[in-house]
Amino acid sequence: MAGATATSYTDQIVYTDEIADFSPEIIAEMESHLAKYPPERKRSALIPLLMLVQRERGWIDNPGVNFLAHFLDLEVTDVWETATFYSMLNMRPVGRHHIQICKTLSCRIMGEPEITEHICSKLGVHPGETTEDGKFTVSLVECLGSCGTAPMMQIGFDYHEDLTTEKVDQILSSLG
Amino acid sequence: MEIKAIGCEPLQLKRVHLENGHTLKVYQQTGGYESLKKALKMSPADIIEEVKKSALRGRGGAGFPTGMKWSFVPKDNPKPKYVVCNADESEPGSFKDRYLMERDPHSMIEGMIIAAWALGSNTGYVYTRGEYKYLIDIMDVALAEAREAGFLGRNVLGSGFDIDIHTHTGAGAYICGEETALLSSLEGFRGHPRMKPPFPAVEGLYASPTIVNNVETFTSVPQIIEMGGETWRSLGTEKSGGTKLWSISGHVKRPGVYELPMGYADMEKFIMEDCGGMLRDDKKLKAVIPGGSSVYIMNAGQILGKNVTLDYEGLVEAGSMLGTGGMMVMDETVDVVDTTKNLTEFYKHESCGWCTPCREGTDWLVKIFTRITSGGGREEDIQLMLDLCDNIEGKSFCPLGDAAAWPIQSAIRQFPDDFKNWIANGASSNGAH
Amino acid sequence: MSEPIKVTINGKEIETEKGAVLIDVCRDNETSIPSFCYYKDLEVQASCRMCLVRIDKMPKLQTSCTIKCTDGMVVTTESPEIEKAQRSMGEFLLANHPLDCPVCDRGGECELQEVIFDWGDVEERFKEPKNRQPEKYLSPIVANDPQRCILCKRCTRVCSEWMGEDAIEAGNRGANTVIGTYGGWLNCSQCGNCIEVCPTGTLLDGVYRHATRPWELDQTITTDVYSSDGMQLSIGSRGGEVHRIVARDRYVNGLNGEFLDVKARFAHEFINHADRIKTPMIRYSKGGKLIPATWDDAIKFTAEKLSAFGNSVGVIASPRLTNESIFTLGDFAKAVIGTENYAIADKHDMSAFLANLSVPLCTHNEIRHAGTIVLIGGEPDEEQTYTAKQIRQAVRNGGAKFIVINDTPIRLTTRASRFVHVNVGSIDAFALAAVDPKFDNDIAAKMGIDPGEIDAVRKTIFESQGDVIIMVGAELSSDAQAIIAAGASSLNGEGRRVLLHPLAPYNNSVGAIDMLPGAKTVNEVTKNSKALLIAGSVQDASILAGKEFVVVQELFEAETTEHADVVLPAASFAEVDGTFTNNAGQVQRVRKSIEPVHRAKPDWMIALLIARAMGAEIDSEFSASTVFRSIAESIPAYEGMRYPMLKDESTPVQAKYSVAERGVAGNIETVRKAVENMQPGEKYYQMPQVGHKLHRVTTMTSKTPQFHLLANGNPKPENLLVSPLEQFELDGTTRQKEKAEAAVIGIGDRSNVGGR
Ligand SMILES: Cc1cc2nc3c(=O)[nH]c(=O)nc-3n(C[C@H](O)[C@H](O)[C@H](O)COP(=O)(O)O)c2cc1C
Ligand code: SF4
Ligand code: FES
Repeated sequence: MAGATATSYTDQIVYTDEIADFSPEIIAEMESHLAKYPPERKRSALIPLLMLVQRERGWIDNPGVNFLAHFLDLEVTDVWETATFYSMLNMRPVGRHHIQICKTLSCRIMGEPEITEHICSKLGVHPGETTEDGKFTVSLVECLGSCGTAPMMQIGFDYHEDLTTEKVDQILSSLG
Repeated sequence: MEIKAIGCEPLQLKRVHLENGHTLKVYQQTGGYESLKKALKMSPADIIEEVKKSALRGRGGAGFPTGMKWSFVPKDNPKPKYVVCNADESEPGSFKDRYLMERDPHSMIEGMIIAAWALGSNTGYVYTRGEYKYLIDIMDVALAEAREAGFLGRNVLGSGFDIDIHTHTGAGAYICGEETALLSSLEGFRGHPRMKPPFPAVEGLYASPTIVNNVETFTSVPQIIEMGGETWRSLGTEKSGGTKLWSISGHVKRPGVYELPMGYADMEKFIMEDCGGMLRDDKKLKAVIPGGSSVYIMNAGQILGKNVTLDYEGLVEAGSMLGTGGMMVMDETVDVVDTTKNLTEFYKHESCGWCTPCREGTDWLVKIFTRITSGGGREEDIQLMLDLCDNIEGKSFCPLGDAAAWPIQSAIRQFPDDFKNWIANGASSNGAH
Repeated sequence: MSEPIKVTINGKEIETEKGAVLIDVCRDNETSIPSFCYYKDLEVQASCRMCLVRIDKMPKLQTSCTIKCTDGMVVTTESPEIEKAQRSMGEFLLANHPLDCPVCDRGGECELQEVIFDWGDVEERFKEPKNRQPEKYLSPIVANDPQRCILCKRCTRVCSEWMGEDAIEAGNRGANTVIGTYGGWLNCSQCGNCIEVCPTGTLLDGVYRHATRPWELDQTITTDVYSSDGMQLSIGSRGGEVHRIVARDRYVNGLNGEFLDVKARFAHEFINHADRIKTPMIRYSKGGKLIPATWDDAIKFTAEKLSAFGNSVGVIASPRLTNESIFTLGDFAKAVIGTENYAIADKHDMSAFLANLSVPLCTHNEIRHAGTIVLIGGEPDEEQTYTAKQIRQAVRNGGAKFIVINDTPIRLTTRASRFVHVNVGSIDAFALAAVDPKFDNDIAAKMGIDPGEIDAVRKTIFESQGDVIIMVGAELSSDAQAIIAAGASSLNGEGRRVLLHPLAPYNNSVGAIDMLPGAKTVNEVTKNSKALLIAGSVQDASILAGKEFVVVQELFEAETTEHADVVLPAASFAEVDGTFTNNAGQVQRVRKSIEPVHRAKPDWMIALLIARAMGAEIDSEFSASTVFRSIAESIPAYEGMRYPMLKDESTPVQAKYSVAERGVAGNIETVRKAVENMQPGEKYYQMPQVGHKLHRVTTMTSKTPQFHLLANGNPKPENLLVSPLEQFELDGTTRQKEKAEAAVIGIGDRSNVGGR
């Protein structure tokens, strides 16, 4: 998010050598990604695998980074440089449900501010924060390709479009 | 939301309303993969020739003639060649590729296979923005179907030609829509653009010849092969062939994805009639950004009664650009300082940080906008912003810098009062946010 | 390339080569162009956008660092439009910059400062809040003030392209981009090249930090005292104290450009260290204490004692000393004592290699542009770091073929086109391959490889164009070294030139061999002599036990001095004039930066004083240059050399070694027998850690406290804002609670630096 201090990622992660463990099924899934690229271009699989690590571990944690460095023959800092570039990769933990409200032009003029205000006051957080029970994180994100059905938000990978405050209430209450 | 063709037979949108239009079965029932069969009997040179004749211009925003781009791929380079589909669709206001992939993924796949045949490539990648996870799942299924049916894999339809196509996910970065940044990202690096020349057609993915085209560009290819380049071109104008998808959003009654023939007349009719007119009947049209956020904003006076034709040339003449055809319509409740700030924040967030003017310029501009919209505007700010834009425009490493400058330059030009109001009164003219 | 063309720059026609980089052509022709990201011989970045110029027929301003010249190109580098563009980039770079030059270690030698000051009258239009980031430590050696960063990424490129380490990278995106590492801690060889190439005060020398301002330092150009690459460097001293070492090419235009390694750059605190021997000392009776004495008394005492042993005095010289000192010690042995008992204290002797050259030695520049490099043994990454860098760039930027033959998967193997991984301790056998393919099967069996691999190496060499460079590690036996040196010429061929490169272990190993032809081993000399004069230390001091009289010239008390009857304080390389000869056979100047501390004396001078006191005729004027003249007169390879010839660091002078066909039948026989008797060995698979040799704590490196932390695994501190030296004991254990807390107080202070 705008305004986040850039150094915060690097300074507070406790650096360990622990390597994440994945089940054989997940490893097989990782290998199916690797198989898409020429064998000497393993690094190509880095972003898909980062997404996978995030899916499995909730965020890009230290053991996950160590795993990928190991799996793809990279330095941990190589993983870091790539991972921190991409806004979908969370370098710190997020809530169980990551609510990402689109804040770009079409959504904004179609009512995003009300939606954001509604969600934040309902959950008692500011954008960028996680609820105390760890259930929700609310983020404002840039255009998600849903301008025709604005305003919208994405929770996890699910698109919720043509939002109204009532619809938001329904969606939130349906989430476990 | 509407999805329909106006002024032409649905071509790109031929299958979007069919039940199970995304399946191989329905695709084949409606003529799918016939173009591939035809293409495999043509020589690569002939295919490129047809595409040249069609006057197809890339649909990713830059509008570069596709046939010409394909002809840049060196024939004698011994390295493998790659075909990459740019499905990163992150331009604010643009959401057309999404529906093509969701409802007719085989069109894009067929287009990619034909391109690969024409260019002598055996591997293709579909680089899709990470947020479109559900589309990647749809495409993975479609690719598996095509593989199963022998359209992909070894010895496609007995032709001796091998091709496989894989999906690849992005992870949230607008700049990865820029073709060279896309390739950096596809190689597992930070999404920084690369120097051109060498152009990707000569040295792209893994330093090998690579063609990058937009989804809609690829979906046009089977149609061109099917009906012939000439015929396809004649659907549009001399210089911009065929039909084009427009994404329309904002203050209209029927936002959506519309297929229009190139050269559609006119923009006012499109907004005011085809899309149902203004969302709120009592509010007048104030501004339109016609081609996705990276083009000049237009005021109502540039559109109403001006017979603006919807093609590359028409929009340039009217003072903007076609871009990706992501049209954002704003009524008079909108404050252009606010919308421009919003877009500048977008560019600041998406600036990759590689080059000085874009990285520092967008940061600085956002700070000025923030100060203005919190009541601290100064008279000299407008001049300063224009000067900063001038210092970014044409000097940045890639076009994102220009794209960040243009909305501001045009907003100040077309809506000077909105800026003056903020600076003089510390508030918006119309009380809008 | 090299097709002559003409370009017009600011109306003036200039001749150049097709494909030359425009910014270089401009600069070579007195047209200055500001730039930050451009760095010769690194991948082009074109991100700072400072170097914009106008080229006729091109729509926009162009970055001159990316433009390759073509015939008839018309370029303008000065116009209001260009000046506005360049100034605006400067303005952008300063926007979030803290402008804290008065407290910045780079103040006075900052490229950003220079460019901006050059323009003068810069209006500050940025009046918004600045993005703030605290200063911090990335390691005990590298400190970082991210807010001063202009993201030219020279640091990340040298880390990757020169060092092959990828330890430092850019993270985050857009205006939040920072240079850093995962976890905030820099685990690497700590070469400090990132600091060197940083145009601003973003990456900082943690050893020099806040010590003094750069312009208060006297700069002395001299040669590195650690590695045999002979890297040129500049010692910054002030009031008799050495504060800093840099390779900064504004001072030196040496063979190594801005490259140095961790020892060359940082391990200089020994020079003014409190433990330096402060006065001559005499042990009047065995087992007694060393008692301070005056120079006169100590010399007199030494001379009298030595005279009593007749020609049973041996002389041992350290290969760290200057040629002048080693030569004088040799002379002392031969002329004053009348003995052949002299040795170099070098465990790995490369004299057989140098004595059997059948082709010339290569320069480092030739390594960079080689067609094929064959590395037999050795670990340049840890020992001859500049050689390693040249190899890496030759492969990466120049497309050279690179073959490694080693029993250890050293780090450079990741760059190798072929890695012949042999059994532990069997590398000598490879020498036989150089002379005769009929040995292939036997060698392969002993080395645990396929005979085809040896043939493949040969094939690569025979297919090469350009220079083929054969590098040999010092761990190979003398016989093996001789075979390779003598066999090299047989690999010459059409379009191909074979050159040799010895990976000598010490800064002056090669010079020592030149100065003392016919030197014996340390063991022989010790065994054959009753008394010893040792300049420096010997590797195993226990052999000195029981010797009747031992004189040691040293910087520090060490194991060797424990056996000494007289200890004489010697001057370090920073305190003397002289020369070192590097592994390319280049003879380079060592220059006095400060007066000898505690009135220590150069080793050659001590030897001469003793000689004079022993009654020898000394015709020398007691100056290093006179000694050097004697060297030039008596050592054929140095014939005709004089100090004034060695003045220019940019064109080092190579010693003229004799190159000839050699008969090495005896050596072949010895190695063949040894191979026959070789026991079947094992393979070693672990890649050695970065820094495992570089970070070793030695007499010299141990005086820079940061080296202790590196040697103890570079432990990551709790608090990156405070120097690790405050947070750890030298053995790497955490300091007690009070001290750690004191460190925490520092956070507030430091993060305020440069803030607004
Ligand atoms: C900042 C930036 C973002 C872009 N984003 C996209 C995108 O999301 N999708 C796309 O197809 N093209 C995008 N482009 C255009 C591509 O660089 C490239 O021109 C296009 O993929 C080529 O395909 P086409 O010829 O079929 O249009 C972008 C360009 C820039 C400069
Ligand atoms: S203009 Fe520069 S900083 Fe901006 S996105 Fe392009 S390369 Fe990155
Ligand atoms: S030197 Fe040319 S862009 Fe930096």
